[in-house]
Amino acid sequence: MKKQNRLGSRLVIGLMFLFLYAPIILLIIFSFNAGDSSAVWKGFSLHWYGKLFQNRLIMESVYTTLLVSLLATVIATVAGTFAAIGLYSLGRRRREALLTVNNIPMMNADIVTGVSLCLFFVAFFQGWGTFARWFNSIQSAVELPDRLVLGFTTLLLAHIAFDIPYVILNVAPKLRQMDRNLMDAAQDLGCTWMQAFGKVMLPEIKPGIVSGALIAFTMSIDDFIISYFTAGSASSTLAMTIYGMTKKRVTPEVNAVSTLLFLSVLVLLVLSNLKEVRQEARERLGTTRKSSALDRARQKFAEPRYLWLRRWAAGVLACAFVASVGFLSYATSSRPVVNVCSWGEYIDEDLITQFEEQTGIRVNYQTAESNEALYSLLKSGGADYDVVVPSDYMIGRLIAEDMLEPLDYSKIPNFSLIDDRFKGLSYDPDNEYTVPYTWGTLGIIYNRAVVDEEITSWSALYDDKYAGNVLLINNSRDAIGEALLYLGYSVNTTDEAEIRQAYELVADANRRGVFQGRVMDEVFQKMEGGNAAIATYYAGDYLSMVDNQADGVDLAFVIPEEGSNWFVDAMCMLKDAPHQEEAHKWINFIASTEANLANMDYIWYASPNREALERYPAYYEKRYGEELDPEIYEIMAAPPETLERCEAYQNLPGETLSLYKKLWTQLGVD
Amino acid sequence: MKNKLSWFAVPYVGWMALMVVIPILIMVVYAFTTAEFQGTLENFAEMGTYASVFLRSFRLAIIATLVCLLIGYPVSYWMAHEGPGFQRLAMALIMLPMWMNFLLRTYSWMSILENNGLLNQFFKTIGLLDALGVEYIPMIGTPGAVVLGMVYNYLPFMILPIYSVIVKLDGSLLEAARDLGADSRRVFRKVILPLSLPGVLSGVTMVFVPSVSTFAISRLLGGGTQIMLGDLIEQQFLGGAYDPHLGAAISMVMMVIVVLCMVVMNHFGEGEEQAVML
Repeated sequence: MKKQNRLGSRLVIGLMFLFLYAPIILLIIFSFNAGDSSAVWKGFSLHWYGKLFQNRLIMESVYTTLLVSLLATVIATVAGTFAAIGLYSLGRRRREALLTVNNIPMMNADIVTGVSLCLFFVAFFQGWGTFARWFNSIQSAVELPDRLVLGFTTLLLAHIAFDIPYVILNVAPKLRQMDRNLMDAAQDLGCTWMQAFGKVMLPEIKPGIVSGALIAFTMSIDDFIISYFTAGSASSTLAMTIYGMTKKRVTPEVNAVSTLLFLSVLVLLVLSNLKEVRQEARERLGTTRKSSALDRARQKFAEPRYLWLRRWAAGVLACAFVASVGFLSYATSSRPVVNVCSWGEYIDEDLITQFEEQTGIRVNYQTAESNEALYSLLKSGGADYDVVVPSDYMIGRLIAEDMLEPLDYSKIPNFSLIDDRFKGLSYDPDNEYTVPYTWGTLGIIYNRAVVDEEITSWSALYDDKYAGNVLLINNSRDAIGEALLYLGYSVNTTDEAEIRQAYELVADANRRGVFQGRVMDEVFQKMEGGNAAIATYYAGDYLSMVDNQADGVDLAFVIPEEGSNWFVDAMCMLKDAPHQEEAHKWINFIASTEANLANMDYIWYASPNREALERYPAYYEKRYGEELDPEIYEIMAAPPETLERCEAYQNLPGETLSLYKKLWTQLGVD
Repeated sequence: MKNKLSWFAVPYVGWMALMVVIPILIMVVYAFTTAEFQGTLENFAEMGTYASVFLRSFRLAIIATLVCLLIGYPVSYWMAHEGPGFQRLAMALIMLPMWMNFLLRTYSWMSILENNGLLNQFFKTIGLLDALGVEYIPMIGTPGAVVLGMVYNYLPFMILPIYSVIVKLDGSLLEAARDLGADSRRVFRKVILPLSLPGVLSGVTMVFVPSVSTFAISRLLGGGTQIMLGDLIEQQFLGGAYDPHLGAAISMVMMVIVVLCMVVMNHFGEGEEQAVML
């Protein structure tokens, strides 16, 4: 009877593994894709593996991930083992109480741990800042840094914090099994305490330590949520990089890196399994089997007289590890740096390399999702940026809240090239804080292959006809702004009833299931692949979507008849930015005509640089050997008659902002 | 000697206070204050409006946990009855995906479930879509996709503890039960099931807690139109509506509910024994 059952049960187990591995196999297959899609096969190629090693963002985050996981595992294993030993020599009641506290991080949802640690670090930094300023003011011998931000250290501390409980939980049972008199016996027989610990206790609890370390390492590698809240902007683990990428285009480089990681773990597992299997077989067969050369070498190596060699090898490895960590952190810290935060798909990355080669300044280029998310990041104290590129209305808000540093325009000669239309705008009337980066319009993007009418109104966004096929833009200002425009109100209205009416329009459509999702840069992947029919996004991004659209997708862009929003995104420097000199150099470099031309060509957003704007059609013709379609140029750089129909966002009074915030939090709740 | 060793616990107690207890206390302080750090209960008064998010999150997490249990229990049970080689291989295969980031695995599901994704393309090829007269079968952005993502990511957390309990079951107990006249169904119900309960409880905890608080899975597979608790909290800290005080309050309420659930559940299992992974 048992034999019969086994077939059925194995089938179920096999199906479960199929379920577990199907997506992974797909990931691996598409890492060899010649095209850049993860759904359309375009032939075999290895070029993503080559590209992987040139992708600094991914390589750096792999390095951060491995370093954090290794360091956290080592520290947590040592600390957790000693803690467990300490706990087991306490009385039962105290031990139980402490073990309950030990379980908190494991019982708690990761997000609660992450959030509470984030709040704790930020509170500590504020306290420290006050202390350091006071300390620096009363003496001048030691200068304490008064501005700490989330970064690698906080990331590491957080990882140690959630790793330790796993180690304790694995070591504890081994301690419970161990005979408590063993240690006493060893010491009675003349061992020093250290010897007794090393020769008696450690071997007893070693399996627990090993499995604890293994689990701690796994948890560290797999963690995303806690890292997300504690790493700040400066360091990013692989998981965070991937999360950032899933918001726009995941390039197959990520598939390649995960394939490599997966394969290396697979090899390790197979090797360790083989070893065990062979050991078992040997035990079963007795010692009759002739040992292989490798085995003999290993046995020889394990002999006591080679102890020095083992110690020496371990020492060399440890030194090499410390040295490489030290060297890498030196290499990254000694060069001047500028920390830039912009939007996804918003720069020609060659410009970064060019700037680095010209000036020797390292650019730490990060992206945020939306103006509102950038604001949250800055407010939460997680950001260490010098230069940010918010949109007009957000700049107004940042200036109003005294979060920006005035620029020294004598260091930015290229500012004179900016067209007068983009100077002295309402968000920065006296041009004290900003240098424009790009400008453009918001509009509807739709797939003509699916939508068989010409869309001319915002009403298409709320139409049941397209239910499940519309993407709502995931920031409150644009989403509610579109509804306000549709209703015929101003996008800058402060009338609560009007805003509520607009919100209701959006919320009602959401309840009816019109929206497939709320997206920002995810829109690229969704629209290019024909996975949604209608979205609203920015003109420049529409043009890059057209460049990448899949077969059978036919995208169109329209500025609806009710009018729309036009915006300027401008570079500005944050208050007390640590690298102001470098920040000015970066801003000046990006404002140059050459950089603007390159950017226009790459991201399809219109430049505020007068020369670049005029010269772009010629630049295009020279580069691609064909004329730039005037229609495309018009979408890029909207002509005055289009701009007349569009309204710029302005910063809103505090009351209206909190209304927006409140309504936006409500969306999707019911 | 006892006293000497107990000194080892001191730095640990200090560390726990600093990195576990104080952060949670700070969170509680945030939950009860306004942006100007004045005491308030407003954050909790608002909680009623988010009741539907709580309900949705708990509903989806409970479904995911049940599905995991339904798949995970029999699989662990059968696995524990295979030979040692099979078991080792199976365990390795279950652990292996955890070294590949869960976001990537979830993203891979995205490309499978999209309207124009692999599954829909497959349905099209076999003519299912034409037969049904639709352009595509909507899968992405539905609650079902979110549950699938949870089950997929957290199933190993259900299997590992159950398996490790079952594999350690004393075979002579089963024999004794059989000798005393129990048929195999009765043996399972009266002996195996109660003894494996600690594993089940710890598996349920390990699946339920991350499911109820996820934001990446709901964001990627659920599209974000039907938000969950994790999304709501994330939005208040690093997302589009900055209000850490409200976020802290929601986190706190969620934490309290989850802990209550766990206490009640562990009470049922009289769970004295800590089931440890592996």
